[in-house]
Amino acid sequence: MTRTRATHDRPDARPDDRSVVRPDARPDGGGTPLDSGGREARRWGAPSTAVPPGTDPSRCPYCDRPFPSDRRRTLHLGDAHAAALTDEEAEAVAAVRDDEADDLFVYHLKVVAAIVLLLMGLAYVYAFVLS
Amino acid sequence: MTGRVNGIEALAGDMTRSRSARRWVVTAVVAAAVLALLTRPGAAHGGTLRLSGSSPQVPFWLVSLTGGGVIGVSFLFAALVTDHDLIRDVAATGRRLGAIPASLTGLARAAGVAGFVVVVAVGLVGPSTPTANLAVLAIWVGWWAGFTALTYLAGNAWPAINPWRTLAALLPAGDRRVSPRAATAISVGGLLALVYLEVLSPLSEDPVLLVAAVLAYSLATLAGAVVVGDGWFERVDPISRVFRLYGRIAPIQRTGDGLRLSLPGAELTRPPATDPRPGERAGSAADPQPAGGSSRADGGTAAARSQDRGAWWARREGDATFVVALLWVTTFDGLVSTAAWETFARAAVGVGVPAHALYVAVLLVGFGVFLVGYRLACRLSRRTGNSYVSVPEIRVRFAPSLLPIAAGYHLAHYLDYLLSLLPSLAVVATDPLSPPASLPVLTLPGWFGGVGLLAIVAGHVLAVAVAHAVAFETFTGRLQPIRSQYPFILVMVLYTTVSLWLVSQPTVEPPFV
Repeated sequence: MTRTRATHDRPDARPDDRSVVRPDARPDGGGTPLDSGGREARRWGAPSTAVPPGTDPSRCPYCDRPFPSDRRRTLHLGDAHAAALTDEEAEAVAAVRDDEADDLFVYHLKVVAAIVLLLMGLAYVYAFVLS
Repeated sequence: MTGRVNGIEALAGDMTRSRSARRWVVTAVVAAAVLALLTRPGAAHGGTLRLSGSSPQVPFWLVSLTGGGVIGVSFLFAALVTDHDLIRDVAATGRRLGAIPASLTGLARAAGVAGFVVVVAVGLVGPSTPTANLAVLAIWVGWWAGFTALTYLAGNAWPAINPWRTLAALLPAGDRRVSPRAATAISVGGLLALVYLEVLSPLSEDPVLLVAAVLAYSLATLAGAVVVGDGWFERVDPISRVFRLYGRIAPIQRTGDGLRLSLPGAELTRPPATDPRPGERAGSAADPQPAGGSSRADGGTAAARSQDRGAWWARREGDATFVVALLWVTTFDGLVSTAAWETFARAAVGVGVPAHALYVAVLLVGFGVFLVGYRLACRLSRRTGNSYVSVPEIRVRFAPSLLPIAAGYHLAHYLDYLLSLLPSLAVVATDPLSPPASLPVLTLPGWFGGVGLLAIVAGHVLAVAVAHAVAFETFTGRLQPIRSQYPFILVMVLYTTVSLWLVSQPTVEPPFV
């Protein structure tokens, strides 16, 4: 993993400084590989970033995009560079995704609870008002 | 799908192995969820209107609260859909419809110019009663209510119909560059001015005055087109910009190889096709070589490219500002015809505020509040998502998700107006110079008011779906994109609550105009 890093990492980078996209990055910028099968592939691509001054971001070795945590960067590797990963990176991606799946499960439980509460609350208010 | 045990997409993925079958299953689930959501406010509002007149009635505040609740619930349902591929597949669903025949484009151009000439002529020599004058009916009912609705419900035909564009093609075209900032200032200012005229001056009551306004606009537009060229209609002209942006909601889109049918709003999740991002797409015409590029040094080309990128971004930021302005003017239109505004305006004028100054101030301050609110939400989105994605990037990507809200509000505001006056328009069009004394008007049933409320809620639900897709395209992983949407959802819930309250108010004529 001794890839050269792009030099455009000024923290105040404006959106027009979009030169962080490197030749080995996907031309449309990111996302899991998708067989677009003739369908429209027009996409936003990699977003421009602005790192708060004084922080040391964790950077993607492929496209130099900065992330606030290693975990986030690893998730990005799986999302955007799945085809190019080394075995080691692929393992890390799988582990972090597993971790995120657990968090997401708990999160979804909360979401379902919120849906139930919201709908019951509304039904209760209706019952109260219309009685 | 290996090792992911969560969300409905996993369930669907286990049941059906093939990608397209899985996509259809989950599309059906999502559609069912959205339908289930939509039936809630429908039932509530049906209740409002069925019961109005008799004793128990759903109060306005509860209708508003329900609207806000529906937005919250649709966001929560969307939060259950976290598969990047699935979201992308749903947004990419569609089929090719074939190319537009050139004869049809020619016909549309001819019809646009003919319509323009007829409107101006009939406005000047036709009957002075506004409801019997073809110019008034064609502009307000046929065009501003009907054609606009057609644009966001079906597709944008304005570039072909636009009579000023057809006429400008006959004039010498300049190629002066307008900076994106100036273009945004002109189009946003123009939009605010047009709405100010629409609300405040007797344009809908005096056909001659209306024709004068149309001619003034024609003069300004043709002058602009002579100086700037076709770019005037693509980037500066406020009316073309309104239709271009509204048209992006529509299911029918123009692509490089003809028309394409996709889900409504799907186009809003992508960067615009008409103005591709320079230098970012492989194998596209998006990397324009500067004119006479061979004579330039490499450094010059790079500088020109960087300038192109800068201009592209400035145009997208301009679009974002314009979308916020569009959302505000549709709200303003509704706001000034409420009884609450009448009370407020009478009180303000009572203490000596000039009426027109009050309207201008509210128009400008309201736009400022909307713009600051949107920018604040974008800033907060970066924080709740704990992301390094730049704030301008968030502003530009999420702004199109506001368009369905503006469209829903437009439909709620104009649908009953359009349907009730459409018979008059048809009759007057057959004999514009001496129309019959009594014109047919469609009387809509009482429950029809519920359709407007439904349009607002449907617009917001579509906005939630678009924002969800954009968030998954922008942020990493599956939790961060959901968290990044919190500020937008909060703003949308607030806005729905307010706009439903506005629409359910009894309509009065704006005072002092």
